[in-house]
Amino acid sequence: MSDCLSEDGINQEEAEDDVLTPAKLISKLEEAWLNEKFSPELLENRSEMVECVMEQLTHMESNLQRVKAGDAMASVHRMEVDRIRFVLSSYLRSRLQKIEKFFPHVLEKEKSRADGQPSLLSPEEFAFAKEYYANTESYLKTVALKRMPANLQTVDMLKAVPEPCLDSFVFLRVKERQENIFVEPETDDQREYVVDLEEGSQHLMRYRTIAPLVSSGAVQLI
Amino acid sequence: MDPSEVEFLAEKEFVKIIPNFSLNMIHLIGGDLGPFNPGLPVDVPVWLALNLKQRQKCRIIPPDWMDVEKLEEMRELERRENAFTPVPSPYYMELTKLLLNHASDNIPKADEIRTLVKDIWDTRIAKLRLSADSFISQQEAHAQLDNLTLMEINTVREFLLDSLNCMYKLRSNLQPGSRKGQFTDH
Repeated sequence: MSDCLSEDGINQEEAEDDVLTPAKLISKLEEAWLNEKFSPELLENRSEMVECVMEQLTHMESNLQRVKAGDAMASVHRMEVDRIRFVLSSYLRSRLQKIEKFFPHVLEKEKSRADGQPSLLSPEEFAFAKEYYANTESYLKTVALKRMPANLQTVDMLKAVPEPCLDSFVFLRVKERQENIFVEPETDDQREYVVDLEEGSQHLMRYRTIAPLVSSGAVQLI
Repeated sequence: MDPSEVEFLAEKEFVKIIPNFSLNMIHLIGGDLGPFNPGLPVDVPVWLALNLKQRQKCRIIPPDWMDVEKLEEMRELERRENAFTPVPSPYYMELTKLLLNHASDNIPKADEIRTLVKDIWDTRIAKLRLSADSFISQQEAHAQLDNLTLMEINTVREFLLDSLNCMYKLRSNLQPGSRKGQFTDH
């Protein structure tokens, strides 16, 4: 597995396509944070990005340990590390909240994805989701279900837990120009129409139509 | 999104400072800053500028747009136009608040600037309220809001998105045909 950043955090000339400078990595983290915060469904897992950010943070923290107290630069680095850590924690927290909210659907999606497709959950998140499912099941059983008549003792989790509403409205900013985005009418007497999304413009529309653009990075949720 | 999170994003904007200390270049994860020489202006992110100012290690130079005449012109333009006019900075409200709270001694006519920015903000929020109202009552499916800043969007975000989603639920329950599963209540 290739490291996406070199030892001292400075970008070196490498032949690989996915070499990122630390600055770009942090801005990608912030974009992923905002997208995850505002999207109604759980977005694709970005564990390489999370790992790279953790690497940068632990590297910087170990440097800070070695430096003597009172160094002018140390507090600046520490502030930056705190800021990045906040964004990373908030990102992971958003994901966990969504996993807890939609756990049967998330697990179902993960189970039914093809081998080539990127996964929705990191291994730790997958373990968390499975445990949460098992705990909820046993909780329901212990508290109520075992006292029900025998033929009513199962709960179909997929039906019991509401699925994410992909028709929610979201605010977005366009990063790459898109043409002919379909806008469905709200009422029966309106006609459906298409809009072109210009680069740099901001819009308010349904999540469902632009969901693939969020995963590809063509739009940013704000 | 919490307003303090919008402020967090605003703190990444760059501002010019004049340090009174000297330091070599700092290599932060997010980029390189400096070198710092006393008396020479240097660009740093707002979070660093505020910290240095609080430790009395620098003087903050207000951004170009933070000037009484320019803001007065902007306020007049905003009041004349029905649509949203372009803003001086995508984070004008947060930057004004942060810089005026921490560095008002470095900014000439700070009080006037505060009033002018507040006037511009009030006009824009009034326009936003009107357009959100017409968006809902005409049941539009799409809106373009190019010149709105994140802080303004954030003020109406929860209420507007919740109401739109509620209306969608009510409307889709009127239509025959079932959807699998139910919708979440936000």
